[in-house]
Amino acid sequence: MSAPCRLAAMGMVHALGDAAGPIAERLLAGDQSRLQSRSDLVPDRSLVVAAVREPLPDIPEALSPYACRNNAMALASLTPIEGPLREAVERFGAERVGVIMGTSTSGVSDAEDAIRHHQETRRLAPSFDYAQLEFGGIADFVARWVGAEGPAYTLSTACSSGARALASARSLLRLGLCDAVVAGAADTLCGLTLGGFSALQAVSADVTNPMSRNRQGLTLGEGAAMFLVVQEEGGVQLSGVGESSEAHHMSAPDPEGRGAIASMAGALHDAGAEPADVTYVNLHGTGTPLNDVMESLAVDAVVGREVPCSSTKPLVGHTLGAAGAIEAAFAWLILDRSTDGALELPPHVWDGERDPELAPLRLASAGERSAPATRPRVLSNSFGFGGNNCSLLLERSFS
Amino acid sequence: MKVTVRHATAWAPGLETAEAWQAWADEPKALPTEGLPDARFLPAMLRRRCTPLSKILLRAAMDGCPEADRANLRTVFSSRHGSINESVGLLENVARAEKLSPAKFSHTVHNAQAGLYSIATGNRCASSSLAAREDSFGCGLLEALCHLEREPQRDVLFVSGDVPLDPVFAPLVDEPATPHAVALRLSGTAKGPALTAAIEPNRGEAPVPPWPAAVEFLRQWLRETPSFELVTPRHRWRFERSG
Repeated sequence: MSAPCRLAAMGMVHALGDAAGPIAERLLAGDQSRLQSRSDLVPDRSLVVAAVREPLPDIPEALSPYACRNNAMALASLTPIEGPLREAVERFGAERVGVIMGTSTSGVSDAEDAIRHHQETRRLAPSFDYAQLEFGGIADFVARWVGAEGPAYTLSTACSSGARALASARSLLRLGLCDAVVAGAADTLCGLTLGGFSALQAVSADVTNPMSRNRQGLTLGEGAAMFLVVQEEGGVQLSGVGESSEAHHMSAPDPEGRGAIASMAGALHDAGAEPADVTYVNLHGTGTPLNDVMESLAVDAVVGREVPCSSTKPLVGHTLGAAGAIEAAFAWLILDRSTDGALELPPHVWDGERDPELAPLRLASAGERSAPATRPRVLSNSFGFGGNNCSLLLERSFS
Repeated sequence: MKVTVRHATAWAPGLETAEAWQAWADEPKALPTEGLPDARFLPAMLRRRCTPLSKILLRAAMDGCPEADRANLRTVFSSRHGSINESVGLLENVARAEKLSPAKFSHTVHNAQAGLYSIATGNRCASSSLAAREDSFGCGLLEALCHLEREPQRDVLFVSGDVPLDPVFAPLVDEPATPHAVALRLSGTAKGPALTAAIEPNRGEAPVPPWPAAVEFLRQWLRETPSFELVTPRHRWRFERSG
């Protein structure tokens, strides 16, 4: 048996809300009512986005150099678990608590304003600090806010960043370098990523429609999810990590899905689980033509056509660097809510028109529950730009 | 945790061979602030869009292990600034409400070098890219150890480096600005000189070093110093060499 890895506390924020209770209700109902159409983000284009609707908390005055929207996003997801985080620092000592964050945007939305100011005045906006923009800044911010003095770094591997943060948190614990790790990810809607993905023709004008014959690309979102990770038995366990690189193309996946297969199979192998042990798969499910072809092939090859799957991106958008953490948080939520080992499954929200080119996966419908199991397991996929894949397996024992 | 350093190599302007680095380690002097490696080791298709940082990190990565092994290692790329210089142009486009170039956008992701390395060498192993302000080198080493924890039998190629920051942001960061990359091939199983790293909070001062942390690490390693420290605003990193 490998060492346990408990995801002891979880907080999150995204289009579905900033508190676990309402988020769970909207997630399980497949609520798309909080998506918005915005025309201020990309020149000459109106797009559906999944923005956070609640006001974000203020960054404390003592940490004002870090005051940017992305760090406020991180703070919104840390606030609900502030108690357990501070207890961990107290219990283990600040030096033994590490921080691993994921992000793909960092504070780019604030840097856009700073650069605009620079173009007008030849000076950066006075509120701008480089710590808002550099990728390492968010880990430094979270460490200072929590009072953690162990290692603090930010993984940025595009859309797999958030999943990787959890994988490395587990490794730091197993190496004995930390006794607790604050792990998670945050990403913010900004002109740079919206403009960039639009330029790559990856963004859908309407709400993303994954696995449909009518899919036209992704809906971008923003959000954050944070976990307290400790080496303890019980609760929700991170039992499997699988990873791969694609060696294929900077912005397109291998059409045969070899990287995705290696990633999913790796997570199962790491957890000592069989394909039949998987209760539910949270798909990467971006709704781009290429992702869904290769992912449906890969899921079919690894767990087959009977396991219920869904993409939660039609509800919270593709939150890029935060997606792996947010989707792990959904897995955590349904495992945590269960009282009998049966899981309430997030529905796959789409137009219901199957694409004959895709492997026919079993897509979860609204109100669906899995059969009670002694050890339900959720597999969560994150496949990043640049060919960087990471799959996580989360489980909980009901024996 | 103890790890074997199978190979240590680096690139900086004018320091392109093992002999040049050994001579510099024995008698170090300030490093140049400009320069780029010849990138003909990369296929033309990939080279065309390569940023200066990608050329430097990939050059160190290729020098860091023999061709036959390049596809069979896990990789970790660490850079404080990553592709922020290229993002400046895109941010200016955004500020002027101009359309973005898709190819330029693709090359500003922080894992661009990891993606390019994987494509150029056919490497399908796990890879991470990270940043940690002044601790980017030390934390990169920890991330490499994380990969060895997940797969002890497979070596990790750890590459850490940066280029001087764009003039728009450079005044905000006090650091030795030199283009550089250091590559370490790390193994949990091979015989050879072993490295132990320990980390503790720094509650004192951290003067700006004369050259980047990665280069200082390499200098001490090439001099076979048995025990040395890197001090950053956040941490004191203690390294010990044995065997």
